[in-house]
Amino acid sequence: MSDRDLKRWLCLGCGFSYDEALGLPEHGISPGTRWADIPDDWCCPDCGTPKHLFEMVEIPYAPGQPTPQRPPL
Amino acid sequence: MSNSFILRAADRGHEKILSTGPTASYVGGHPDAFITRHSSFNFHDYQSGRAGFGRIRVFGDETFNNPGCSYNMHPHHNFIICAFVLSGRLQHINTTGNNDELLAGDYYAFSAGSGGLHTEINVHREPMNAIYLWMLPDHLYLPPSYARGRFDAEASANRITPLLGTGAPLPIPQDATVSRLFSTRSGRHVHRPRSRGHGLYCFVIDGRLTCDGTMLERRDSKGLWNATEIVLESGETGADALLVETIL
Ligand SMILES: [Zn+2]
Repeated sequence: MSDRDLKRWLCLGCGFSYDEALGLPEHGISPGTRWADIPDDWCCPDCGTPKHLFEMVEIPYAPGQPTPQRPPL
Repeated sequence: MSNSFILRAADRGHEKILSTGPTASYVGGHPDAFITRHSSFNFHDYQSGRAGFGRIRVFGDETFNNPGCSYNMHPHHNFIICAFVLSGRLQHINTTGNNDELLAGDYYAFSAGSGGLHTEINVHREPMNAIYLWMLPDHLYLPPSYARGRFDAEASANRITPLLGTGAPLPIPQDATVSRLFSTRSGRHVHRPRSRGHGLYCFVIDGRLTCDGTMLERRDSKGLWNATEIVLESGETGADALLVETIL
């Protein structure tokens, strides 16, 4: 699997994005976690929209984004 | 040959969102406050229609009823959220530092980008009716931005006036343009999409408009694509329409 295969998903309730490459470490989802491997009952952490109402998007990041995560202290 | 879909006013999604009960953290205000939302595309509990059109994901015809009726402060990312106030007065507050009152004819574009919060409030007795339009951005996590504009119906009557987006006074980070046609008399207006790859969503705010041969009444709409020329004809009693051109 190459990084190019990793997808981005957008919450249609608020615009929150999930990037498979980045995961959501602050919500217990490690980088590289495939969308398919996230439980079906998972909801948007910002607005509660269910997983099935996310849309896969092929939108590039703005320059300088995403901001690199600070390493844990 | 062009392609199209027609969406009649009554066939849109319809929700009534109360300021009490389970939705209280979402909708605020006086206990009698409620929002009515007619959705042209799938949104929240309405999921049996179209998913969107081009870069449009939300097209909500919303009315805030009773004093204090609001969407409480809540977060967004990425979406370009636009509001076009049709009647009443809207208070819009966001975390890019704006606190605006918008009257009929006023509109804003709030690009949530890397993150922002907003609240939408009607603090008056008179209901507030606005069109809420959400579009996908051309990049994720852009710096959040906000701009407002005003459509002067009298000065802009009887022609297609760009409001925001490409070729309009308010830029947005997407290959899309929102225009308004406010006609006070019968007339023929030709819209030429910027390319064959652009579609047009035509929504009639008021009056009657024949769009590419289809008679559209108040709050009816039509989407068109693969067209080089779209003819809009208003009748003697006039018409008021929002036109969203979007890359497909
Ligand atoms: Zn969300």
